[in-house]
Amino acid sequence: MDTKLSRRDFMKLAKTGIGGWAVSSALPSWMPRMAFAPDGVEPPGDLLVVIFQRGGMDGLNAVIPHGDADYYHLRTNLAIAEPSTGNDKTGIDLDGFFGLHPSLKPLKDLWDEKALAIVHAVGSPDPTHSHFDAMDYMERGTPGEKTIETGWIGRHLQSAPWQNTSPFRAIGMGGIMQESLRGPIPVTTLQSIADFHLQGDTSQLSEIRKRLESLYSLGGSLDPIASDTFDAVDLLSKVDISNYTPTGNAQYPQTEYGTALKQVAQIAKAEIGLEVACVDIGGWDTHNAEGATNGDMPKLLDELSSGLAALYTDMGDAAKKMTMVTMSEFGRRAQENGSGGTDHGHGNCMFVVGGGVNGGKVYSDWPGLAPDKLYGPGDLNVTTDYRDVLAEIVSKRVKNQNLTQVFPDYTVAKTLGIVES
Amino acid sequence: MTISRRDFIKTSGLFAAFTALAACAPQTVAKTITGHSSGSASVGIVPTAIATTSSTTTAVDPLTVLTLNRISLGATPDMYSRVSQIGLAAFIDEQLRPENINDDATDQLMTNFPTLTMTPAQRFQLPKFGQPIQELVAATILRQWHSQRQLKEVMVDFWSNHFNIYISKGLCRVLKTDDDLNVIRPNAFAKFGDILSASAHSPAMLFFLDNAESQKAAPNENYARELMELHTISVNGGYTQTDITNVARAFTGWTIVGPNNPIKPFGTYQFVERMHDTGEKQVLSLTIPAGGGEDDAAKVLDMLAHHPMAAQFISTKLARHFVSDNPDPALVSDLANIFTQSDGDTPTLLKAIFQSDAFKNSAGQKMKRPLEFLASALRLTNATLTGQSQQLTQHVKLLGQIPFDWQFPNGFPDVASFWANTSGLLERWNFGNLLTSNKINGVHVDVNTLTQDAQSAQDVVDVLSQRFIGTTLPDDARSILLDFASSGDLGSKLASIAGLILGSPHFQVR
Repeated sequence: MDTKLSRRDFMKLAKTGIGGWAVSSALPSWMPRMAFAPDGVEPPGDLLVVIFQRGGMDGLNAVIPHGDADYYHLRTNLAIAEPSTGNDKTGIDLDGFFGLHPSLKPLKDLWDEKALAIVHAVGSPDPTHSHFDAMDYMERGTPGEKTIETGWIGRHLQSAPWQNTSPFRAIGMGGIMQESLRGPIPVTTLQSIADFHLQGDTSQLSEIRKRLESLYSLGGSLDPIASDTFDAVDLLSKVDISNYTPTGNAQYPQTEYGTALKQVAQIAKAEIGLEVACVDIGGWDTHNAEGATNGDMPKLLDELSSGLAALYTDMGDAAKKMTMVTMSEFGRRAQENGSGGTDHGHGNCMFVVGGGVNGGKVYSDWPGLAPDKLYGPGDLNVTTDYRDVLAEIVSKRVKNQNLTQVFPDYTVAKTLGIVES
Repeated sequence: MTISRRDFIKTSGLFAAFTALAACAPQTVAKTITGHSSGSASVGIVPTAIATTSSTTTAVDPLTVLTLNRISLGATPDMYSRVSQIGLAAFIDEQLRPENINDDATDQLMTNFPTLTMTPAQRFQLPKFGQPIQELVAATILRQWHSQRQLKEVMVDFWSNHFNIYISKGLCRVLKTDDDLNVIRPNAFAKFGDILSASAHSPAMLFFLDNAESQKAAPNENYARELMELHTISVNGGYTQTDITNVARAFTGWTIVGPNNPIKPFGTYQFVERMHDTGEKQVLSLTIPAGGGEDDAAKVLDMLAHHPMAAQFISTKLARHFVSDNPDPALVSDLANIFTQSDGDTPTLLKAIFQSDAFKNSAGQKMKRPLEFLASALRLTNATLTGQSQQLTQHVKLLGQIPFDWQFPNGFPDVASFWANTSGLLERWNFGNLLTSNKINGVHVDVNTLTQDAQSAQDVVDVLSQRFIGTTLPDDARSILLDFASSGDLGSKLASIAGLILGSPHFQVR
């Protein structure tokens, strides 16, 4: 019994009202969500929010192994001091061995609430130190391999055993689509909800709209994107997302990253079928003047953590059905360089936040930082493949068990227990 | 120290740079658009009346349409006129000698941006932190919009991306302008080895990729890696980690004069002996004996510029830019041979591209990137800047490509798959409609003048199509436009008809 509504079918149903397409009052607010799925079936899993830190975050300074003496040998200038109560320039102790960089203070509450899990010495097995190759591999989900053109999220969307034809099923925040989202399932890229509608001479807009649709139905290569765009514009127009006030006084950082997270919350709450959102935060390539407790990296850590905390707060109860995960293409060299920074490295840390997280723990098979334990030219080793983290989230929280399609040619090495089923 | 993109747009106010311009000379701007040259004897694009015709439009040879749109940021009637006078080959030759093309009006526009000719020290002392960025971004867009030296602007864009520098990283803010002025612009048509060397000496590049800090005791490998991976022999060039390390060692000492130097000007290139690693180095097939100095790195540059993989890589990128996203391997192979034979001569390579069968058959195969879309829309609607335009700034951002805002050294991607997405397409539709109906404050378009010789709905559609895309629309698209144009009051629809063509799939390609 296939009662799936195709996107085209849904859009035809929705096209009541004047002017050829629906006006916002024509549909009850519950309609958009239910219309995308057969009766009684909603996407069963969590909203997945994937935050990619572009440039290679220095995981060793984000979550410091203060219990490892080599950390202090290798970073005489950059190391964050061992936790010391009453001093807010030291690491924030987590478990007696690891500590949070002080600028990650917004994550401490999540940690205490057990909504935050940290994975350390995690990453890709591929040795590349090239940003582009590393990002490519990580987003495709095929380290070392560039023959597969799709992204891991694209393949998840394709292989998930439920239907969802919403144009907002997956969104890439920003002006370009993240590679992770590449695949046969269309994705909407979005910079600004407020601007996401057709503009021009308002008295002629519906006529213009009609002709644009026709112009993009002539068989050109942009036709599918155009069609997706119209669908997305129509759907967004049905929900009122103006004057949005975050729940719980959540304070998003006033940056592109913060605004992107806030818009994710808005779209999630609009219940128009959102399942996955990708958000980027850049600037992590700290070769130079990285800053220990003052400077570029601490500012970014503050921005990163404020955003995560704000989204968690803003989602309120719905945070129980949301999982956020961060990643970066590689970590940074264990030893600081001569420019007050760090060069490209290997192992890193990931943050996992959500209601279903087994938080309050750092999951790590810590390899150590002694010279014979370092990887390659002196990097933190990778003892957990990042795909193990993502696979566990996809299967237990997002409820897609088709992991061999999401991560082809890969068998999960270990189940960490970072999330509950 | 980096500023976030939001800081850049909000606090620095790009529109302010556009304001300074408009306050000075709107008439000058108008004259520039219609091509009146203020020079006298030099060869340039000779202006004629706008080449719209009454009732019928004259078909232009498709190869001319294709070529002019690939060698410019939007082929204008003046350009077509020039080609009809001297022929396409001669026009290309003309464009390859920009020094012989009068561009006084564009130069005049540039005088509104004082930071363009300041020293790094002067830029550093400005109270408005973002001013050097605003002005360089505005200047770049205005040059693409107005310059008569269009192929030069196309190549400036190409090389700016190839040797990409993110202007908001630290001192790049005050140094990138000099890179644009001294490295990229004068070398738009240089031999590859020359522009490579200029880039390697560029303070902005030395800062962006951290070579300025690199020294013997603690070499920084960032520039060394990107020099090989992105600037010359590509990730498949066969270099190893050891090669990267040794290139970094060779480049130690290539640095920048600091702010406290009593003799030399801040922000200029200098070689500092004591930072340099004089040990022996092996880089690929090149042996650099011990005891060398500044010349070690010059030898590396020379070797890389002449490496067969550089010929391959640069040829691929040029073919990708001018022909198609996945260039024909046979074309690339031919170009690589020409690269080697001509010592990487840009004009020789370009002419070979334009004469190739692959090029001639590539109509419709290159999607305009946002800046190319923006410039062509502004050029072909004869738009003029009339005042503050914060909205133009906002549209640049929404279109998704702010000049010098790409954070990585590889530059903005040059393939449709990167740019073809929902937010980008929606913004192009919106920009086209808002531009033609004069809903972008500070930017004026006179659709009535563009269509003044048209006497019917058909004429309007044909005249505008001819102007915007160099030809009338194919029948299926044309009838959609005619359907819209033929009902109701034509006069009230001119802007929307123009906006529809700008938003059409036909205008998204170059």
